[in-house]
Amino acid sequence: MSKHEPLISNTKCECGHQNPVGTVLCEACGKPLDEKEENASGNLEMRYDGVARRSQRVSPGVIDKVWNFFSSVKIAIYLIVLTLLGAMLGTIFPQESTFLNIDASTYYEQTYGTAGNIYYRLGLSHTYESWWFVTLLVMIGASLVICSLDRVLPLYKALTRQKIRKHRQFLTRQKLTLNTEVEGEPEEWVARIVQPLKKKGYRVRTEGGALLAEKHRFSRWGPYVIHIGLIIFLLAVLARGLPGLNMDQHLAFPQGETVKIPDTSMYLKNEKFTVEFYSEEEMPEEFRGKKVLPKLYETKAVLYECTADCSDPSKEPQLAEVARHDIQVNSPLSYQGMKAYQFDYDLTPVLRSVQPDLVNASTGESYGKFRLDMKNPQRSFKAGPYTLELKEKYMDFGLNEEGRPVSTSPYPNAPAFLFLIRGPDLPAEGQQYFYFPKQVDKERFQQEAINDKLGGGTRFLELEVGSMTDVDFSESTTYLNIRVDRAMPFVWIGAAIVMLGLILGFYWQHRRIWLIVEGGQLVLGGHTNKNWFGFRRELVSILEQVDMTVDDKSLDNGGGMA
Amino acid sequence: MGKARKPIQIVILFLIVLLGGYAISSSVFGGDGKPQEGGKAPNFELLGLDGATHTLEEFRGKSVVLNFWGSWCAPCVKEMPALQAQWEKWKDQGVVVLGVNVGEDQMTVDNFVKLVDIDFPVVMDKGRDAVRSYGVSPLPTTFFINTKGRVDSIHIGQLDLNSLDEQIGKLVGP
Repeated sequence: MSKHEPLISNTKCECGHQNPVGTVLCEACGKPLDEKEENASGNLEMRYDGVARRSQRVSPGVIDKVWNFFSSVKIAIYLIVLTLLGAMLGTIFPQESTFLNIDASTYYEQTYGTAGNIYYRLGLSHTYESWWFVTLLVMIGASLVICSLDRVLPLYKALTRQKIRKHRQFLTRQKLTLNTEVEGEPEEWVARIVQPLKKKGYRVRTEGGALLAEKHRFSRWGPYVIHIGLIIFLLAVLARGLPGLNMDQHLAFPQGETVKIPDTSMYLKNEKFTVEFYSEEEMPEEFRGKKVLPKLYETKAVLYECTADCSDPSKEPQLAEVARHDIQVNSPLSYQGMKAYQFDYDLTPVLRSVQPDLVNASTGESYGKFRLDMKNPQRSFKAGPYTLELKEKYMDFGLNEEGRPVSTSPYPNAPAFLFLIRGPDLPAEGQQYFYFPKQVDKERFQQEAINDKLGGGTRFLELEVGSMTDVDFSESTTYLNIRVDRAMPFVWIGAAIVMLGLILGFYWQHRRIWLIVEGGQLVLGGHTNKNWFGFRRELVSILEQVDMTVDDKSLDNGGGMA
Repeated sequence: MGKARKPIQIVILFLIVLLGGYAISSSVFGGDGKPQEGGKAPNFELLGLDGATHTLEEFRGKSVVLNFWGSWCAPCVKEMPALQAQWEKWKDQGVVVLGVNVGEDQMTVDNFVKLVDIDFPVVMDKGRDAVRSYGVSPLPTTFFINTKGRVDSIHIGQLDLNSLDEQIGKLVGP
């Protein structure tokens, strides 16, 4: 491309064919067009059969310039090398995306010191999502498309419009060539060699004393098939960014609760989570007493799909079960492309509800039980002749700066309830009663002392939980990784096409033999894109069948790469 | 063939620019999909304390001060009187102060609203859907949304009570 084309150059070959500017060998007869090339003696430039590539043509405008830039294989190689170097930068420290809960702005400095801080500030903690890396990928994609089109169309044309009779110089300057004397009529001699060529799988065309035999042309499309595969691959990766095609989230599922999976209409219920560990006997001796090894993590999961009232928060969604699976490591629940993998667990029990009994502390008389939920409790309860009105609720009881009771978190770590009890033998305005369902909190916050203060001396009612059957808690929480990757099949398709292209290009070679018999003289030229050695041997064995003995080395016209 | 060449080149380059532009811009601006200052405020559909479902859409044309809070969060409690004062001052000028309670039950929210004595609308984000779509992590976080439904500014942490009035004034416009 750096060579300056003469302003007007005669591109018409002596055979009468008008070639485009940039053509090396006449598209029709194969005669070298360039003066220098014509007078040289080395092997011919056979890339793309000497046809002008699109980007080599004249008059570059802006579009042509862009086109020419991307059509250069040299540029493509630079782009690939730059991308590889960029990708290497991303492997120095772990990427942000590999962590679930970190504050990246402090994590890198704390973990890796100044180097980590520089790494984070340069944006390398998310190398593969950075604008420059994506730009490089886009440019490689552009280069793939344009390089392919720039070459595949001229090559396709050159190969489909091959002339049988080629210029003599085209034949003698092939890397594989033979020039010898033969007897008999040209047509006859040519007819004799057709059969042996066909036997070797060649497609043969003849024109008087000229012949063109060709096989495995399809292997020339291998590189372009690879490029198509790569483009599908890149597009699939790009499409993962579109909404709905990719999801990767880690969610907590307390045992016994149905939890909505965000951005979907799915709900998942963890019916039971189990974790088992190897017993001392099951472990090898060197581990006993030293290690705790998990044997099984299992979440009995039920997947529901919402069928009605899904987005209306004032109504309860209607759920229908769609799948059920015991999720274990490497055995996810799978439903319509959505997968739920076991990821983590937490064995801290979470209190859900209690059924306290209202009793008379002095007589021991019980007035009855009621169910008190930690979340969304009823506001009033009846126990015998007494009504209990729930006035306040604290999920995680504590005192604020002013000494007033507050909840210090939204999680039921230390739930507390303030009731107003009305009924016989109580003041008309009722009596306040603080209730801590957890025994530890009762003691820690001195429930009795508080209530004595609230109720004065006349207090006789207590809320008591009789047995553990009156306590409902979620034993554990399982963490699942919910994933959707609908672009994945296309990634596989792309990869499969790349493989197909590689096989096409690697295991077959495009072999062509031209020959002309004229005045008792046989001129033969052969070209292949690889495995010249095999090609020569094949030609020798074909020539043997028309009673011609040739040493395979004598066919080599130099140029190496045999 | 020569005639078809230029249009084909243009179409291909156009497609590359389109797809490439999408890829690059989503890596530059898209990020994690959380609203940025100047970006569109995501819609939500949440149950209000009044028992009705509220969306952000229904406040289109008004300036919205969207305050995410929880009753357990001390700075949220502290800024409530200021929000209430601003609500009273601006509500007739097309400003809505909207509280979003994060993940608590109705009773807690009811009691809290009574305790701090606020009457601006409050919605409950039980499933933390709005928290996720707004990318809220510490509480309180306040989004100032203009009449076009775009996020004018985001304030993380307790509101600066001195500049709050000014900030809302800026939102309403000159």
